[in-house]
Parts: sequence; structure tokens; C-alpha cells
Amino acid sequence: MAAYDISNKVTNLEEAVSLIKNGDKTALGGALSLREPMSLIREIIRQNIQDLHIIGNAHGIDVDMLCGAGSVGKAEVTYVGFEFDFGIALNYRRVCESGKVKVLENNCVTLINQLRASAFGLSFVAQKSFGGTDILKLHPEFKVMESPFNGENVVLVPPIRPDVALIHAQYADTLGNIRIEEPFASDIILARASEKVIVSAEKIISPEEMISLKPNIPYFEITAVVEAPYGAHPTNCYPNYAYDREHMAEYVKATKGGLEEFKNLYLNKYVYDVTQEEYMKLIGGEEKTKRIEGWQRGIEEWKEIFTVGDAS
Amino acid sequence: MSRISECTIDELFVKLMANTIKDGEVIFYGGSSPLAMIAVYLAKNTNAPNLVHIGGNPAGLDPKPPFLPPTTHDWTMLEHALGVLPIDYVFDLGSQGKIDRMFLSGAQIDMYGNTNVTIIGGLEKMKVKLPGGGGGAKLSCDIKNGVLWTTRHRVRQSSRGKVYTIVPEVDFVTAVGHKTPSGSREELGLIGNGPEWAITNLGVFDFEEKTRAMRLRYLLPDTTIDDVLENTGFEPAVHSDLKVVELPTSADVEFIRNFDSLEIRKREFPPEELERKFTLGTVQ
Repeated sequence: MAAYDISNKVTNLEEAVSLIKNGDKTALGGALSLREPMSLIREIIRQNIQDLHIIGNAHGIDVDMLCGAGSVGKAEVTYVGFEFDFGIALNYRRVCESGKVKVLENNCVTLINQLRASAFGLSFVAQKSFGGTDILKLHPEFKVMESPFNGENVVLVPPIRPDVALIHAQYADTLGNIRIEEPFASDIILARASEKVIVSAEKIISPEEMISLKPNIPYFEITAVVEAPYGAHPTNCYPNYAYDREHMAEYVKATKGGLEEFKNLYLNKYVYDVTQEEYMKLIGGEEKTKRIEGWQRGIEEWKEIFTVGDAS
Repeated sequence: MSRISECTIDELFVKLMANTIKDGEVIFYGGSSPLAMIAVYLAKNTNAPNLVHIGGNPAGLDPKPPFLPPTTHDWTMLEHALGVLPIDYVFDLGSQGKIDRMFLSGAQIDMYGNTNVTIIGGLEKMKVKLPGGGGGAKLSCDIKNGVLWTTRHRVRQSSRGKVYTIVPEVDFVTAVGHKTPSGSREELGLIGNGPEWAITNLGVFDFEEKTRAMRLRYLLPDTTIDDVLENTGFEPAVHSDLKVVELPTSADVEFIRNFDSLEIRKREFPPEELERKFTLGTVQ
């Protein structure tokens, strides 16, 4: 880790993502339309990292895009979709159904407990009251036993220790301190449970400025930080910007015709050989950023963000 | 007097879900659940003003959103909230039996109230990978009472024959009902009571005490027992005192339309269901 010594953890996107290896257990921060580490995801696709074992709770475009780019080998997630906005995540569905991706669907409570086991430094934690669900069949590693204390049935779940966690934050400082705004989703526990933590941040600030903000993930948990403005786009990163529904609609539309078409329509346009500056222009430049930041200007502008876009 | 004289199926559906909530209960729901979200606000505004609302994915405590967003993990869902509950804390509340009621949906729902949102076709013969169950699998074991819902209680013809949403047995048990192939809730040592109600676009079901199977309790104003039987993959019991649901008041409907001004609720329904309209009674 000499390249990321304690005095300065700031690096660039390419260097940070090169820390991720083929087959790594890769945990994703954020959730659904919230603060997903999209700049890092796009760089993983550019570097053609393969066979990732994805760890995450309820997710959306992040997992679906990685699946569409052929980067995923196993999906240990609890939900991948676009809720009642755009429904099914088609790339995720395709690669699960074709057998390319091994379905290790988990459930949020258990996944969090397994991350807690890792954070506790334990070989398992016990869950009460967990039987009858076929999720257990996808996880033969879970063991049922009788509690030695009161005889109740408990399910023992082993730790999940991601090789790397990817988190997008509002602020990082040069030492690696991280300030994220609520809701945290699983980000705090991911940082405690993972071997390496790579953070992209809207803004990198000085350690002095961070003291007044108060970090909520300490620098010693962090491996590398990258400045990536709009790095969660098209998911939200409040208070900076809301979910870009218009872009999400274009994404979903591009997934409808199969994996090849998705590469042509979406990955070629927005990911491969696209720099951050080019990306910002492609998504609509200042007109777009003004709109997704417009939630702060009142309810009507906030609503408008959620009414534009058509995936049909 | 309100000028609203009729409602549509989505508004009636919200009212039916709201009716299941008892005052003072601790309520939770997952993502992708707009009808449940609106139902909690309607209940808070009518029959359950003291309910404790843990608002879905961001888990805001008693939030008052200015409008319902199309995706749940949004700051709208934290407006005027008392704070955000950490994700592990919400799940720990479940494990302690402190969540009174949760709403769960399913691409398949079976006669014992097991739901499938994971795989159609089962593990060995996956036909369709569904989005997945979020926290439902574990929470369904722990919550005191479940309320199941589907807006797609209609038989469909496929090349392989008739396809039902309400089936004798789900292809994959994501969230647990009253009895599973691995045993009953008692045998499995689950702390929650299981589903109390299953609400569909054709009727409202409870679960018969002895068999623990779905039993038709209420029809909708425009449905018959035959509609229900024709569209259900098994023959459900019918309650001896079968009734027709009461419609929402015009004030309820007004509340729903104001709160969900983007009409996210309608996206849960196939377009043809949304044609169903109901004339409201005279306002006293």
C-alpha cells in the first residue's frame, strides 16, 4: 500500500480501480437510486475487470450495468431493479437466467449481520427466527443450531469480508476521512467490514475543513480516495443533486434489446473511452446539472426532475 | 362538500391496505411499495393517527414527504422526519419482535401466504429471475403481522397453459407465510404471527384459523366469487359471512390524490385494471 500511504490517499480513478482484481468480492455502497459509486463502476467496465463477486443490498443501475458489461461472476445481492419507476433490471435478469452469473440472492438482514460478523472479528453471528425461506437453499453455508442458553433454534451466518468496498461520498479529505450525508444505507458497516475501501467523493477537502464537518468514516479504514464530481450520477447524491430520471429512462431503454445492443447504445456512448469531462457534456452539460440540482429551488422543480424521461 | 364522486381501483386499493393498520402500530415496508407507502399516510390521517412510521428504505422516522417519489431512496422520503434510523437498527427491531406490521408483495403468492419475488420456475429450472426480496425473507419471520398484496390477481394464458399469481405453492419461498414445505411457523420457531391479510385487485382474504389457508373475506364492489375462483390457482375457502368492501370517502380520495400527485400508485397496476371506477356514496 506504499502508493497510498497515510499522508495522502488521493489518487485518480484509474489507479484506484486498478486495486480491484478479477474475482474480487466487491461490495457496493449506496442503494437503489441513492449514492451508488457510478464513476468507479464505469472505470471497472473500462478496465474490463471480470468475474466480480458482487455484495450488496437493494441495488439498481450499478449492478445492472456491471452485468451488462460482463464484469460479474456472482451476485450476492438482495434486490436489483428499478422499483415502480422502470421495473425489471434487464441485464441482471439476462445474465442470471443464462447462467453466466451465479445467483446468490441473500436478504438484507442476513447480509448486514454477515458484515457485522466481519466487523466484530467473529467467525459467525447468530440470527433468531429464520426458517422456511428458500433463500437458505442458496446459502448452504448457513447452519441451524440450538442455542446452548435457551434451546431456541438459531441460524449461524458466517462473516462476509469484501475484498473491496466502493463508496461514493459527499466529502473526503486528503487523509481519507469521509463525510457522507444520511441515509447511509450499508456504507458505514461496509467500511468496517471490508479489506479495502475505495471512495469517490464529490469534493476533496483539507483535513482542517473536515474537522468542522466531522467525518463519519475514519481515515484508517480507507485505502484510496478519488475526486469525482457527479460521481453518483445518474443516482442521487443529495444535497448536491437528485436522481436523473431522464438519464435513467435512456439507460433502461438501451437495455431492452439485449446485451450487444446495450453495448452499442449505452456503453459505447457513455462509458468506453469516455472521460469525466466528456461524460458531463454527454449527459446534458449545464442544463442537466441545473435541473438535477433544482430540487433545492422548491417542490415544483423537485417534482419536475421525476416527471421527465421516457423509457418506452 | 367535496366534489369527488368516484374513485379508481388504485385509490380503493390504498384504502383497503390502510384499513389493516391499527392505531399505535409500528409499521415498515420495503422498496418498490408505493401503495403501501400511501396507505400508511392515509391511515395516519384517518384510522391510525398514532402509528409509528419507519419509512421504507431510507428509514426516516415519521417522515412527511411533500410528494411520493418514483423511487424510494430519495430525500423526499426524509422531509420533516425525526431522523434516519440506521439500517441495522431497523432490522434489529424486527428481530426483537418490535415491528407490528409490514406490507409484502409477490409475483406469486400461495395459499399459505408464502410469497415469491426471487425465481419463477424454481432453483433447478429458472425461467425468470425476479428482482429479489430485499429484507423480506427474514422480516417475514419476525414481524408481528404481515399484509400481502398483489394488483395482478388474474389468470393469464401462456404457451404452457394457465398462469396464476395466486398459486397452490410458490416456485420459490422468498418471504414466509403460515406453512412452508419445511414446516409451519410454530415448527420453525418463528416469532411473528404470519400474514393477517392478502389484498388483491379481486378481493380481500384472511387466513383460516385451522388450515392457515387463504379464505375469501371480502369481494370488491365489481367482483364475484366466480371471478375470484376463475383467477385463482386453487379453490380458496369462502367466509360464511362474505362481505363487499366499503369504498373510501371522498376525503380519503382527495388525500390520496393530493399526496401522490405524481400518481406513482397507478404504476403498480396493469393499464386495463385502471379502467375500474367506483361511485362513492353520498357524503354526510
